Amino acid sequence: MKKRGNIIKHIVLFVFTIATLVPLYLIVIMAFKPGDVIFHGNYLLPPLKPFLGNFKIVFESAPFFTYLLNTIIVVFGILIFQLVLVIPAAYAFARMNFKGSNILFMLYVIQIMLPLEALIVPNYMIIRKLGLIDTRISMILPFIASGYGTFLLRQVFKQIPKELEDAAIIDGCGHLKFLWYVLIPLARPTIVAFSLVSIVTHWQDYLWPLIVTNSPSVRTLTIGLGMFVQQESGADWGVLMAATLFISAPVLILFFTLQKTFIKSFMTSGLKG
Amino acid sequence: MVRKYKPFLFLLPSLVFLILFTYFPISYSLFYSFHEYNMYTRKPIFCGLKNYINMLHDSIFWQVVFNNVIYGVFTIFPTMFMALFLAILIDEVSKFKTFYQMGIFYPTIIPMTAAAMVWMFMYDPSLGIINKFLGLLHLPQPGWLGDSKTSLLSLIIMAIWKNLGYYMLLYLAGLQLIPRELYEAADIEGANWFRKHYHVTFPLVSPTTLFVFIVSIIQSFKVFTQVYLMTQGGPGYSSSVLVFYIYENAFRYWDIGMASALTSVMILVLLFLVLLVFGVFGKRVTYSLI
Repeated sequence: MKKRGNIIKHIVLFVFTIATLVPLYLIVIMAFKPGDVIFHGNYLLPPLKPFLGNFKIVFESAPFFTYLLNTIIVVFGILIFQLVLVIPAAYAFARMNFKGSNILFMLYVIQIMLPLEALIVPNYMIIRKLGLIDTRISMILPFIASGYGTFLLRQVFKQIPKELEDAAIIDGCGHLKFLWYVLIPLARPTIVAFSLVSIVTHWQDYLWPLIVTNSPSVRTLTIGLGMFVQQESGADWGVLMAATLFISAPVLILFFTLQKTFIKSFMTSGLKG
Repeated sequence: MVRKYKPFLFLLPSLVFLILFTYFPISYSLFYSFHEYNMYTRKPIFCGLKNYINMLHDSIFWQVVFNNVIYGVFTIFPTMFMALFLAILIDEVSKFKTFYQMGIFYPTIIPMTAAAMVWMFMYDPSLGIINKFLGLLHLPQPGWLGDSKTSLLSLIIMAIWKNLGYYMLLYLAGLQLIPRELYEAADIEGANWFRKHYHVTFPLVSPTTLFVFIVSIIQSFKVFTQVYLMTQGGPGYSSSVLVFYIYENAFRYWDIGMASALTSVMILVLLFLVLLVFGVFGKRVTYSLI
């Protein structure tokens, strides 16, 4: 009885997993097949000899390495600024008593519920007023005060026992030293989790970069791919999938090398408590 | 003793950006929603409720709202249900766990732009894998993205694929918090698999369900990238959604007044929905485990 139930579970999971993997399989396979082969419907089986011509066309017709560099600058720019802003804020909310802390904290929590996508129009006006249209920094600034990160880290900082703080203060530790030498090392798993979620999220950013950039020199990978599709309207699927593979590869490689950390990070990314 | 200004030194940097890019923009939208501000006026002119009245008489606005609701309902509930189902199965098997987790979760990692590309290929009416598969089974082969009857459905199916793995992981985390003894007790009572999960798992993962529900409401309001890349809201307005309509009003027609009114409505509806869900379900959720 138990055994039969187990087999059924595996069959269901296996079918789901394979079905979910089809798009990834198609991206990888088709990136290495010539367009005319795909056009005749022969795209399901892996090619006997990988065809690299698609990538040649991709790199010749659009500056994808510039896009890659810009994406890296923007994504890590966001992450570094986020950590620099979020850690002290979470510290203040978790370990300092002050008037108005509840009301201020509400401002951070409400922001979690307000996606930036809703605020594109006013934010565009602000970025324009600041004279930052078509710059990399414009793609960074709106994301750096993360209510989500503040919430997540505040939880962790709160759990650290008061005695530890007292001991540190007796040893002559100020707030900054205590934060740097005690809290941050103890909160490392959460910081890693937040960082991975942030990298994955902002690697995908599309709407905001679409609005604030005009020139290829500052554009990111996602925008580059969108432009590339419009430019290659002849729909050579091999070439399009090569570009698609190129923009996804960095995060996918990161994902497959850090599997366990990734799974754990996203599992705990839910706001507990 | 903490000196009074010290907490504010820690908060100041993030507070500046929080206000500049979240709270100032909200008030900005509210302010300009009462103004006529477009290509012809050049400068904002106060017009009272005119933008809101125009919005209520705009049939496209209602279509967009309707689409967004349909999109939300038909992505949120199937995704949540399947995510919990798969999480339970993965929790119960002992082999291939990592393979199943990775295989179902990777769509969350892939950029939406990339996902849109490959799904456009899969939805291709003659070449795409979906219609080829349906053809093998002698089933009708819809026009998917190009047909106003199925364009929204196409976006919904893709969204389920994209979010399923993330919600599944959240549920897996939630399942770890349920004491194993409860299942053993259910087994002794002779409850079958369905009854066991209906009476034990469902109520006890409700904190996760509440969280997933709120996350997916926000997600369904955010949807833009795939609409922009795959359908441009079409054919007609059959797959247009709120953010896409705001984008069109602001950056195609340069009607900042109208776009601001739409933004204000969207923020209010979103906050209202999230608070409603918290208010209605927040108290009923089983908190004993956290």
